[in-house]
Amino acid sequence: MDETVAEYIRRTVLKIPRDEIKMMLQEWGFLSEAQLQTLNFHQIKDNISQEVVQLCEENSADIKQAAALDIIYNHIYQNKRMWSVYQMKKSGEELEYFDITDFKKKFKRRLRSALKNVTITFKEYEDNAIWIRVAWGTPHKKPNQYKPSYVVYHSQTPYVFISSSVLKSTLPLLCQALIVASNYHDIREMELRSHSLNSLKDIVFKRYSQNFQTDTPKPLQGGNVEPENADIRIVEENKSEKERIHRLNQEVFGSGPQPKLEFAQYRLETMFKSDPKMDVLDKKEPFRCLVKFSSPHLLESLKSLAPAGMADAPLSPLLTCIPHKARNYFKIREKKSLYPESFVSP
Amino acid sequence: NFNFFPFLLFSPPHPQEKADPQKTAFLLRKAWTLYSVTPLYGFRRARLRDYARLLGAFIAAEKQKGLAVEVGVELDIKVALSSLPDIRGSELDQAALLVQLSSRSRASSRNSEDKPVWSGWFCSVFGDDLFENVPEHFTCLPLFLSHGAESYTSLVGSWFQKTFDCCFRRLAISPLNLSWMVAMWAGCKLDRATSAVELVFSVPRLAQPLDISYAIHPEDAQALWDTVQKTPGEITQEEVDIFMDCLYAHFHRHFKIHLSAAKLVKVSTAVASAHCDGIVKILNSQYLPGVLMLLTELAISQIQ
Repeated sequence: MDETVAEYIRRTVLKIPRDEIKMMLQEWGFLSEAQLQTLNFHQIKDNISQEVVQLCEENSADIKQAAALDIIYNHIYQNKRMWSVYQMKKSGEELEYFDITDFKKKFKRRLRSALKNVTITFKEYEDNAIWIRVAWGTPHKKPNQYKPSYVVYHSQTPYVFISSSVLKSTLPLLCQALIVASNYHDIREMELRSHSLNSLKDIVFKRYSQNFQTDTPKPLQGGNVEPENADIRIVEENKSEKERIHRLNQEVFGSGPQPKLEFAQYRLETMFKSDPKMDVLDKKEPFRCLVKFSSPHLLESLKSLAPAGMADAPLSPLLTCIPHKARNYFKIREKKSLYPESFVSP
Repeated sequence: NFNFFPFLLFSPPHPQEKADPQKTAFLLRKAWTLYSVTPLYGFRRARLRDYARLLGAFIAAEKQKGLAVEVGVELDIKVALSSLPDIRGSELDQAALLVQLSSRSRASSRNSEDKPVWSGWFCSVFGDDLFENVPEHFTCLPLFLSHGAESYTSLVGSWFQKTFDCCFRRLAISPLNLSWMVAMWAGCKLDRATSAVELVFSVPRLAQPLDISYAIHPEDAQALWDTVQKTPGEITQEEVDIFMDCLYAHFHRHFKIHLSAAKLVKVSTAVASAHCDGIVKILNSQYLPGVLMLLTELAISQIQ
């Protein structure tokens, strides 16, 4: 077995948490059940991975099998990677029958005609997702297995999710191979990025619950007994304000769980406007800012701002449009219209 | 917090002694953790080499006692103490005091270079006004900055506390002071303003915490500050408030979020950056005295 393959398998196994190694090796299916029985999963990972490599040696593993194990790892730990979304465009309207064999053939052929040294691996999953792993080399060097690109393509849709290799120059090649293989004629990157692959899918496949009015407003937890004096009116107002905020939030965010994004970025090139009394900056040039919101679960976080008193309800459409515009990167310029308070995002 | 502001803040450093660019260069672009230090009793400049020896012995003894500083690595720690005469505001300030810990692995040859492992320095920049009636035998160096492993900071701090009967306390920076810093530093005239003026806010008490980074083009931030600040060389609380209110209003116009209700945790400019946990990075040598003066004042107010 090639030394580099052995090392690559060893390092891949080392990445796997100890109590998941057996399951992943089983899914991989390269080692027999009998071989798996011989492995001691209770020792330190260093030793486990050495033993796995030895077994792979017995079976004469090559880079193809090693790459298959890597796809399995990255499919399970997909949220460790940053995914970008691309949309492909067809020239005509015809829905062609998708032939997976044809797709793979064309993809490999396109890549290999441009670059001799590539490792290409495919794996299909139940949800119609085709996972593709590409390791890139040069005309004179073998592919670098440690910096591959991953592509997830749902064949019934024009969307492709790419976790790029850090080798930036490989991206155009990858995109070309995709459109050729899938019979599209163009591909563009959307302004949508996240670690959560499923949330990106939720957004572009519109699988999250969108804005709709709930008929029955959620009853608020009251707790205190209202004293029967003049204070009743104040309490009532606050309660109705809370209900108003809740209702507006529902209208704008929907009542279901939000897709999970970690950040949103806004490049602002709008004018600075102030109270003329303040006698401050009154330039004709834009006030250039870059605003970045980050959170473990951004949309849920934004949804909770108004109820927490941190924001007005309804929240700005710049924030609430994220799921249905399917983007979390924006460039905002002043709209030249009668209503200077509106913004346009190209 | 700052009820007065000397006019020296924005002018170039007072040319008392020729600043050693090498010495001050190593202070730049490092993250320094800040402490306030009460006056040192019985400290004598002439005895720096003795102190270095004693501190070195103290560290070695603590390691023998089993206080693991670095696990599994055999290291001899060498201590060096030196004065930084250029780091002071006026003649009334004490010169800064630098403590450097370096290591030489026992495994390597005698001629191998020492690797710097930790550094810390005490300083006072225009701190003299507030230490007017200090009794004899006390040395005032209220600001301490450290860079390196916390375990070494703790060792060095313990030795100084025992030897000179002083007290170290972490110096936190309040949102109010951070807003002063960002307003002042955004206004500094630099040859090339390469980095944005960035304010980082945190909204921790939500079910899902939110961080907001608000970065403004340095030219635009400076232009805003120039229209707010009325008297050159003098800054008032009102001007800082107006500057911040302008930024909050611009943000609210777009996002409908009240940034003023969030916690300002970090500010960053081409001059320096500061974090509310008391960590600063100084990026520009021209404004080093100004930044240190501000930090000295913060340290002193924590002591008093």
